[in-house]
Amino acid sequence: MNCVELQQSLAEVEDGSRLDQRAHLRTCPECSSLLRELELIAATANQLQAANEPSPRVWNSIEIALRQEGLIRPQRADRSLLPSFGAAWGAVRWLAPAAAMLLLALGIYVRRESLPRPVAEQAAVVAPAVANPSDLNDEDLMQEVAADPPAMKTQYAENLRRVNESIRDAQGAVDESPNDPDARRSLMDAYQQKSMLFEMAMDRSEP
Amino acid sequence: MVSMRTAKLVAIGVIVAGTLVAESRREYHFAVGPKAGVSVMNPYGSILVRPSSSNTVVVNAVLHSDKVEVDNSQNGNRVDIQSHLLAGADADSGRVDYEVLVPADASITLHSNTGSLRAENLHGDVSLEGPGADVDVRDVSDAHVHVKTMNGAVNLDNIQNGHVEVDSLSGDVTLKGVNGPLVQVVSTSGRINYIGDFGNGGEYRLTSHSGDIEATIPAWTSADVSARSVRGEVHDDIPLQPKSHTWFAIDKGRAFAGTVGRVAVSSTVVLRTFSGKIHLRKRSEKQ
Repeated sequence: MNCVELQQSLAEVEDGSRLDQRAHLRTCPECSSLLRELELIAATANQLQAANEPSPRVWNSIEIALRQEGLIRPQRADRSLLPSFGAAWGAVRWLAPAAAMLLLALGIYVRRESLPRPVAEQAAVVAPAVANPSDLNDEDLMQEVAADPPAMKTQYAENLRRVNESIRDAQGAVDESPNDPDARRSLMDAYQQKSMLFEMAMDRSEP
Repeated sequence: MVSMRTAKLVAIGVIVAGTLVAESRREYHFAVGPKAGVSVMNPYGSILVRPSSSNTVVVNAVLHSDKVEVDNSQNGNRVDIQSHLLAGADADSGRVDYEVLVPADASITLHSNTGSLRAENLHGDVSLEGPGADVDVRDVSDAHVHVKTMNGAVNLDNIQNGHVEVDSLSGDVTLKGVNGPLVQVVSTSGRINYIGDFGNGGEYRLTSHSGDIEATIPAWTSADVSARSVRGEVHDDIPLQPKSHTWFAIDKGRAFAGTVGRVAVSSTVVLRTFSGKIHLRKRSEKQ
């Protein structure tokens, strides 16, 4: 088991207790350190009080971030995760977002770690990140800016179109030349730009 | 009977009076220590930040209606200013224009959806963000300069020893006299224009997916340059010493790589676009 395989396997068995995980962790200080950090986050999340429940904005941000990472699919009938998380889970409500954040952090970590690796490993890591851009829920972004002035909404729509085009272009280049670091970098940049667009839509000061 | 002329004058008078009543000014003062943090969040309107002559943060705000108010708070060495939109406020009535004076070593964070964001003559960290905001940063040294825009134009002028990161989706980005250990611009479709000497020993990475990239450098520049357009074209007006080895194929017209000037002090310059054009040109004496 190498670093990438271990980090991917942590998403399923998060405590590093499997035999192959333990074997790798004994010899890899970097992955051991990652696991310690994940355990610390999980432990801290358990200590959070129900009274500290985050605002709906936080839930929405997590939902959108997870969709951007391709870890969840859009829900057509009920577009928000708010009701299902917030309704009847009581104090346990924190565990779901904490787990989601762990997965998200892990996903980001795996992607970042993929950069300096040998080509064969990179191809394996990039593959999950290059999902069809239609999987990212553009409707959510447009709903976020629905109350904006028309000119601003048009700008968001136009930039969304451009960034989706850039993702398709870069994806095509990666498919054509999987070992081309520039193509992979283009794809990563394109996704980061789309992520920034979502971030801006969520972070802008609202009335 | 009231004449038409009188009626017009009365109407104009009412409009002017209404405007004067609606627009108001506020001024706030905060005493701070060294390396203070100042944040201004302004949904609609401009923000200009300049250095103050004392350890005081001075906020001058022009509110364009009574549908917006200014919330302010100080927590230790940190000052937070927020335009608070009241019910019914829109982009016009919710507009506030700020002029903020801060100690030159203060770190500032500015956010506006639509107005211009300007910072000048500072040496604290500068973080500016706004979807439609035009950004102008000049005469900043020894600082991090981070800019995020959607379609606003970005102009950075005379940033010395900066750690510069610009993310823009479609706005044009112009860097003039910008150098430091890291200068990075990422754009989706905006044009990137760099005018300067790439400093000494820094890393410069200019990337636009479909926008053109132009770098204009003086004769004394020392840089290790690699440029590549996956689907577009590249032009090089400067004779580069070719490199013996590159990790990508030098497809003539689509890529070039080489060194200019003294290798020992050269910066690493990476110019990348997917479908735009790249042009490395020599600065003329007039520039």
